[in-house]
Amino acid sequence: MPLAGLASPAVDAAFSFEPKVILKDLRSARRRQRIADLDPFEALYRAYLTGITVTLAALFLSGATGDTKITGAQLATIRMHGAAWLGMAIALIFAVGLRSGGRGGPLVVEAADVRHVLLAPIDRSVALRGPAIRQLRFLLLAGASTGGIAGLLTRQRLPGPAIAWVATGAATGALAVAGGFGLALIVSGRRLGRWVGGGLAILVLAWSGVDLAEHTTTSPVTLLARFAMWPLAVHAVDVIGVVVPVALLVVGLVVVGGTMLEASERRAGLVGQIRFAATLQDLRTVIVLRRQLSQEQPRQRPWLRLRRAIPMSWLTSSSADGDGKKARLHVRHFPVWRRGWHGILRWPALRLLRVALLGAVAGLCLVATWNGTTPLVVVAGLALYLAALDVTEPLAQEVDHPDRALSFDLPSGELHLRQLAPSAVLMVFVGVVGILAAAAVTGGATTTWEIGAVVVVPAALCALGAGAMSVVKGPPPPLSAQAALIPEVAGARAVGRLLWPPIMSILGVVPVLVARNAVQHGHAALPAAVSIEQVAAILAVFGVAWVRYQEDLHKWWQDQIADAKMGTGRPTKPAL
Amino acid sequence: MPQSTKPTTVLSARGLAKTYGDLVALEPLDLSVPEGQRLVLVGHNGSGKTTLLRIAAGLLEPSSGEVSIVGAPAGSIEARSAVSYLPDNPVLYDDLSVLEHIEYVCRLHEADEWQSRAVGLLDALALTERADDLPSRFSRGLRQKTAILLGLIRPFSLLLIDEPFVGLDPPGRAALVELLDDANDSGATVIVATHQMDFVSRAERCVALRDGAVIFDGEPGGADFTTLAG
Repeated sequence: MPLAGLASPAVDAAFSFEPKVILKDLRSARRRQRIADLDPFEALYRAYLTGITVTLAALFLSGATGDTKITGAQLATIRMHGAAWLGMAIALIFAVGLRSGGRGGPLVVEAADVRHVLLAPIDRSVALRGPAIRQLRFLLLAGASTGGIAGLLTRQRLPGPAIAWVATGAATGALAVAGGFGLALIVSGRRLGRWVGGGLAILVLAWSGVDLAEHTTTSPVTLLARFAMWPLAVHAVDVIGVVVPVALLVVGLVVVGGTMLEASERRAGLVGQIRFAATLQDLRTVIVLRRQLSQEQPRQRPWLRLRRAIPMSWLTSSSADGDGKKARLHVRHFPVWRRGWHGILRWPALRLLRVALLGAVAGLCLVATWNGTTPLVVVAGLALYLAALDVTEPLAQEVDHPDRALSFDLPSGELHLRQLAPSAVLMVFVGVVGILAAAAVTGGATTTWEIGAVVVVPAALCALGAGAMSVVKGPPPPLSAQAALIPEVAGARAVGRLLWPPIMSILGVVPVLVARNAVQHGHAALPAAVSIEQVAAILAVFGVAWVRYQEDLHKWWQDQIADAKMGTGRPTKPAL
Repeated sequence: MPQSTKPTTVLSARGLAKTYGDLVALEPLDLSVPEGQRLVLVGHNGSGKTTLLRIAAGLLEPSSGEVSIVGAPAGSIEARSAVSYLPDNPVLYDDLSVLEHIEYVCRLHEADEWQSRAVGLLDALALTERADDLPSRFSRGLRQKTAILLGLIRPFSLLLIDEPFVGLDPPGRAALVELLDDANDSGATVIVATHQMDFVSRAERCVALRDGAVIFDGEPGGADFTTLAG
């Protein structure tokens, strides 16, 4: 059969063997296929949803940030310490890049590209630069958007022209991600490994830490941060902070060909699964896969070993008789409580650090909220929610293995509730870290301790309840035929299911906002916080009760529906 | 399309080992495979067969030791040009047809006159009617056949295949055995990791692995295959 019989526009006997041309042709062929598969109505509907979301976000941000201008003393503090603090945040982005590079790099290459392109006899730099640039484009857009919005928010409270704040904010955001991405490419392309990557990350953070502590501007990231503050004061030397990320990016793109295939292939598979899980709104699967992506494994040896249920000597000694063993056996109570701590005590250092950092971020954001930047109350609530998603790991493990729970002589709601006990203790510790961070920046002000003491337990439990809801709910079930026909109904249901837990977590820290408003109106902060705290406490109880009774409620509801259906199935009039 | 190569040793491994932390995937091993040999790798699950093949293909970095393919380090451009690796799970683009895959792979490997071979391979693997279809809509067996086609249509002097018979129907298996015979007859070295007796009986050499170590290296007739394959 001649090849001409196999009709395909892609087949052309006269073609180039130049790798760049081949890769370009591949992209064109794939684009053609994607366009052919595109549903214009779905695309329009997505654009419609995106437009609504962006408009609502813009309205919210512009309304929420119309707060008071800062005082002269606060402005002086920002001039002195602002660059160092912002530099610390940029250093964190660089550190994430270095760490990512040490673990194989930031590139997400398709599994088929790894198999067909990277195993072909062509220069891997050529093959990988395209995906790197495409990934970079998205990151730059995200960084510039975030920086621009941050600049806009800053303009609400600091002096200087809005356009300047937005421009320097957007440029700094883009440069920060460019530098982090470049560092990741360099470390992965030169195969420096996780220890070198991690070590360099600590160095970058330490350098910024020194700048912060010593009120100096020596690190390139601090210089970049000071560039972001050019609307307040321009320093020519800050250009170094702009040049360094660009240089890092260029070097990274030059050495990208050295990236190990092993890491690329692993990332390709996991990122594909994460995207799929995200489209299904399966948050738990996203979390588990993301941990695999960052090679976050439980420790072989726990940080602290609980007293063993079976003494180690029994396992190593073959001569001990059974009766003697039984005589020395200690009965262990609270198996679910112990199971929770067994897991938590095996957490890798990274997860402990992340949870503590999220607690600190929540604390710092609440301080900023107290000082007038209202939208940061949302960030504080979200930070606690993210921490709770990690902290509810014992419960999540149980939910991941439902067959095991079914074998227990215990309602699953009861089991899930018990699983939350160690998590609740840990979550309160996360809140305490937040209080300590807040106290550190407020100089241990009495108000910080008072408000912190009132808020910490309900806020932590609200976040815990929210995290537990997300874990227990799992991905949304398929829509009924009626609901699927109305996109707004389906969309609202999906948004409600996704958004309610974070909203609940945010509501847990709202008492700080109420206390601030009380102070602004000349009332005492503490009574205001205590009065609104009752609402947060009710929310926390609601979250915990939902975990305990949600299964019973669902079953009751389904029974009611079934009864109703049977009722309508009966003839409405008695047969004559 | 096998290509003739000058070195008599196509694959050479010296002190090759792979570990993942405490887990030993491959104990240090030495292996030399001459040109044109048909070798079968056997061993139970987790014995190290796939690890060995993936290192030779350049997908994995060894923890210690070295592997060379036609005299060049595994993973180098020269080695990639000589090795065709067929993994146990077919990996294909979702948005390219079979024919577009063929064109793309042939161009990446600078294959000459690939069109006529494409027709022959499509026919041999019963894919002619599906040549314009997207493999993403194929069954496991058809995807496996597409991957086999892509592995065989490009130039190579060493063919590494991991569990190629999984998912294939009996005619597909027969066609694959025949295609491997053709490749071998043309001078290519063929290394197959398999549990399939069809191919073991046709191999010249059998290497058995257990827990990452070579426990048998010789003619298939001299081995208790059932025990070795686990």
